[in-house]
Amino acid sequence: MSAPSHDAGSGRMRITLKIWRQEGPNRPGKVETHFLPDVSPHMSFLEMLDVLNERLIASGLDTVAFDHDCREGICGACSLVIDGRAHGPEALTTACQLHMRHYSDGDTIHVEPFRANAFPVLKDLMVDRSAFDRIISAGGFVSSPTGSAPDGNAILVPKPDADRAMDAAACIGCGACAAACPNASAMLFVAAKVAHLALLPQGQPERERRALAMVHAMDEEGFGSCTNHFECMAACPKGISVESIARMNRDFALSFLKEAPDLPTGSSVG
Amino acid sequence: MSRFGKALASSVGKKIVMGLSGLMLLGFLVEHLHGNLKLIEDPSGAAFDDYVGFLKSFGPLLVLAEIGLGLLFSAHVYLAFRLTLENIQARKQRYVVRNNRGASTVGSVSMFYTGAIILGYLLKHLIDFRLDPRFFDAPHAAVQAKLSQPGHAAVYLLAAIVLGIHLSHGFRSAFQSLGLSHPRWNPLLERLGKFVAFLFAVGFAAFPMYYLFIRER
Repeated sequence: MSAPSHDAGSGRMRITLKIWRQEGPNRPGKVETHFLPDVSPHMSFLEMLDVLNERLIASGLDTVAFDHDCREGICGACSLVIDGRAHGPEALTTACQLHMRHYSDGDTIHVEPFRANAFPVLKDLMVDRSAFDRIISAGGFVSSPTGSAPDGNAILVPKPDADRAMDAAACIGCGACAAACPNASAMLFVAAKVAHLALLPQGQPERERRALAMVHAMDEEGFGSCTNHFECMAACPKGISVESIARMNRDFALSFLKEAPDLPTGSSVG
Repeated sequence: MSRFGKALASSVGKKIVMGLSGLMLLGFLVEHLHGNLKLIEDPSGAAFDDYVGFLKSFGPLLVLAEIGLGLLFSAHVYLAFRLTLENIQARKQRYVVRNNRGASTVGSVSMFYTGAIILGYLLKHLIDFRLDPRFFDAPHAAVQAKLSQPGHAAVYLLAAIVLGIHLSHGFRSAFQSLGLSHPRWNPLLERLGKFVAFLFAVGFAAFPMYYLFIRER
């Protein structure tokens, strides 16, 4: 990407898009070229795709399918790989929060879906990320007292622990980590989900079981294995640290050692 | 599959075995480098011959240690092949355009290739010395005869550099895989990894250089 050269405010840009088009799952796809003569630098990347789709509709052509929801960087729905980078060139920015002012008149931009076997393409730029939902379900529930409301200060959480849990909980589950990983590994996502509960007292009762179950669920979905390139951390729009992966590895090893084997019913295991 | 087998075969289990076997192999390299230094320490070669004799005196224990070492190498190499294949297959449809964000390094992306070169070199190295029955008659003379030849010396030199590249990712990565990570220690660990890589590359490169350029033939 070259340095922006347009006149901010009034400058309109000519942008060439090379977009992945694929009719449906397991269908062959191809790169299609579209030219937009009048892109405003104020547009978000998705708004530019909206403009493209309006032009396609006006021409009676099939629109480009892409995922989006909140468009304010918190839902994790957008799933574009822009010029070879998940969520595009900006750090700590989801594709929906990427604005066209970062581009210049005459730029050519490649747009592809997130790619991993575990994220099959549904259509064009849209992928099925329900693998992440299944990993979350494998993690199960958190034991919490029900009945009368517990005393507000009954469970003390040290501030640093609360902060670290919140850092992990910032994961929006977009899948950029798996998309950016050279091995298509979802380790950063799973680690963030394991870590944010493992760091809090409320997450302790199922801590061991959860780490084991979520790792096994991740493997079953067909994600690759982590080899510590750390490209996930660089791509993560929420800045989740690979620190949480180390924490999960540690939890996995320890939980394997600590977890009680499945005992016959009737035995009392603490 | 047993619980242990299942945990070991999981993606995290494989990482742990990979990291652990790598660090143990590094432990072997420490002793190997220490032994080799006797070549330079005593130019007459007597110290090195004594060291080889000392190792040989362990008899069956030495064989046992070598079997253990062989198993470590096998686990490390087997997992390397398996992880590499699985990871390629985890993304059957490749990206048309792909750019990294500068987090991966020369060391991290070339792990399989540097490992394959080291494995090839290891076989040559074993054939050159360990598997040659004449080696034990005059260890120092055998080393000198081999490393004084520019062709052989070049292979040994190249292998040392490749080992350094392998360790530049491997050392730091092993700690991450074992879950040994802390914000306070990670920067130090990163620097230590680069230092270890440099140390072993220069350390093992010293011997072919010594016999090629410094030592009077």
